[in-house]
Amino acid sequence: MDGFLLVLWAVRLLFLGLIYVFLARVIRALLRDLRAAAREPVDRPGRLVVLESPSGEPPAGHSFGLDVITPLGRDVNNAIVIDDPFASAEHAVLTFRGRSWYIEDLDSKNGSYVNGRPVDGVAALGFGDELQIGQVRMRLERALR
Amino acid sequence: MTSDLARARRAPALPRMLGRIRPRPRWLEFRLFLLVAVALATGSLSLGATVTGRFEFSGAAGLGIYVGALFAAHAAQVLAGRRTDQIILPTVGMLGGISLLLMQRLPQDLVTQTFFGTTFGLAQVQLVWLLGALIVATTLGIVVRSDRWLRRYKYTWAAAGVGLLLLTFVFGTEINGQRLTLQLGPLSGQPTELLKVILVVFLAGYLSENRALLVEQDTRVGPLRLPPLPYLAPMVAMWAIALGIVVIQRDLGAALLFFGVFLALLYVATGRVSLVIIGFVLFLLGSALMAILFEHIRTRIDIWLDPFADPLGAGFQVVQALHAFARGGLVGVGLGAGLPQIAGHPPIPEVHTDFPLAALGEELGVVGVVAILGLYLVVVERGLRIGAAAADDFRSLLAVGLALVIGVQAFIIAAGNLRVLPLTGVTLPFISYGGSSLLANALVVGILLALSDKGVEAPPPPRVGSRWRRVGRRSAA
Repeated sequence: MDGFLLVLWAVRLLFLGLIYVFLARVIRALLRDLRAAAREPVDRPGRLVVLESPSGEPPAGHSFGLDVITPLGRDVNNAIVIDDPFASAEHAVLTFRGRSWYIEDLDSKNGSYVNGRPVDGVAALGFGDELQIGQVRMRLERALR
Repeated sequence: MTSDLARARRAPALPRMLGRIRPRPRWLEFRLFLLVAVALATGSLSLGATVTGRFEFSGAAGLGIYVGALFAAHAAQVLAGRRTDQIILPTVGMLGGISLLLMQRLPQDLVTQTFFGTTFGLAQVQLVWLLGALIVATTLGIVVRSDRWLRRYKYTWAAAGVGLLLLTFVFGTEINGQRLTLQLGPLSGQPTELLKVILVVFLAGYLSENRALLVEQDTRVGPLRLPPLPYLAPMVAMWAIALGIVVIQRDLGAALLFFGVFLALLYVATGRVSLVIIGFVLFLLGSALMAILFEHIRTRIDIWLDPFADPLGAGFQVVQALHAFARGGLVGVGLGAGLPQIAGHPPIPEVHTDFPLAALGEELGVVGVVAILGLYLVVVERGLRIGAAAADDFRSLLAVGLALVIGVQAFIIAAGNLRVLPLTGVTLPFISYGGSSLLANALVVGILLALSDKGVEAPPPPRVGSRWRRVGRRSAA
C-alpha cells in the first residue's frame, strides 16, 4: 500500500510538473517571438501605402517607409515625390510627434484631404486613415513587423 | 499587385469556404498539443488512482474525445494553411482540459440534462460545450478573413447587445434572485457573456474612428484636461446603458468587467493616465453610493470584509472556499482527494460555476493555481502582441480588448474566490461549467486567431472617405 501511495504522490507531482513544462514551452515561444520582433529594426514610425495614382508616380501599391518628418509634393526635393498635375511643388508635410501622426498642408493650391475631408492647416491622422493629395490617394499604416 | 483598395473591394465579406487546399505545418502548435495530451493523461491517472485505489484512467473516454478534438482542430488549421497564432489554442485547450478533469471529479448530479431519454451528468455536458467551443474558435480562426462585418456595423452590434439585455430583463428567468438567464426552448444562456464581446467590438470601432480627436483636443474642467466631451458622450452612453441594466439585474461581476475593460481600452487608445484615474475615482464613488442605496451590494461587501461574522449563513460560500485553499497548501491534496462531501454534496455551493478555482486550489495547491493564472497571462500576452502587430487601430484595439476581457474576467473571479475583491458571480473563463460562458470565450479566441493571421486582407478604407468619393463622383458625372 505504501508503494501505491508513493507512486500516486509522484503522479500528482508529475501532473503539476507537466503543466509547468507546458507553461515553460509556451513562455519560451513567447520570448523567441518578442526577441525576433525586437531584433527587426522598427526605426520607421509608419508607412504610407499608395492606393491610387493616375500619373504612375508614385506607383500605385508602392509602400513608403516614413521618417519622423516627411515632406510631400511635386518638387523632386520632397521625400515622397507626387508627380500629379493637381499637386503643388511643396504640398504638405507628414510629421510624427509624440504618439500620433499629423499632416500639415503647406498652403497648397488644391489642398490635402484626410478621409475625404479637407485639411485646414494641421490635422491629426490615425493608422488606417486615407490621405489624398492631388489625385493620389494614400493610406497611413503601421510599419511592418 | 494592383492597389490594396481594389483587393479590399473585391474581397467578399465572408470568404470562400473551399478554396484550393494548401496545408501549412504548425509544429509549435502540434508539440504544445502533445504536451497538453500527456499532461491530461497524467491528471486522469492521478484522479483515477485516488478515486478507485488502482492505477486506471478516470473518464478516459471523455478525455480521449476531448484530446482527439484538439488534434482535429489542429489538423483543420494545418489544412486551412493560414498563418494564425499557434499558442493561444493549446493554452486554452489546457485550461479546457483542466476544466474537464475538475468536472469529472465533482459530483455528477450538480448538473443533469436529459436528451432523448438519456441523462447526461456534469462532465458529459461540459464535454459537449467544450467541443462546441473548440468548433466555434477553430471555425472563426479559419473562416474569418475580413473584419468589415465587425468594423462597419458597430452601432448595430451595440443596439443588438442592449436589445439582448432588455430582452433578458423582460423575459428572463430568475435564478437565485438574479434575472440573468434567457431561455429559448430547451436552451438557456446568459446574454451578458455575449454582451462583453459586443462591448469590445463597439468600443474598438468607436475609439479607432475618433482616436485622433480624443488624443488631440482638450476640454478644460478646472485643473483637469479631458478629451472633448461630445466625442466621449456616445461611449459613455453605451457604457452607462450596459452598466445600468447590469446593476438593475444585480450582475455585479459583469458590471465590474465592463468597467475594467472600458477603462483599459480608453487608456490604450488615448494614452492618458488621467482618464484612468478619473474613471477609477468615479467608480469608487459610485460603488460607495450603491453600497449605501442597495441592500444586496452592502451584503456582498460585508461578507468580503468579514466572512466569519456569519460563517454558516451569508459567509458560508466564501468561508468554505477559504478552507479549501487552506487544505490545499503548497501542492494540494491531489485530484479527487479534496472536498470531503457533506451530505453527498461538496461543501462549497456552486463550486462548478463560481468556485472552480477554490476546488483546484484544494486539489492542486498554490503551485497549481499559480500555473493556471499563468495560462491566463499567456492568453493576455498573445492578445496584446497581436494588437501590437495589427495593421490599423481598429484591429489593435479589438485584439487588446478581447484579450483583456478574458484576463480581467479571470482576475475578477479569482480575486473573488481568494477574498481579494468582493465576490461577484462571473465565470472563470474556459474552466467554469457553463455553455454561454464557454461559447462566448470561444468567440473571443476565434476572433483573436483570425486577427493574428499575417496574410490577412488589408483593412478596408475609412468609411467617411468612401462616402465623400461617391458624392464627388456623382457630381462629376
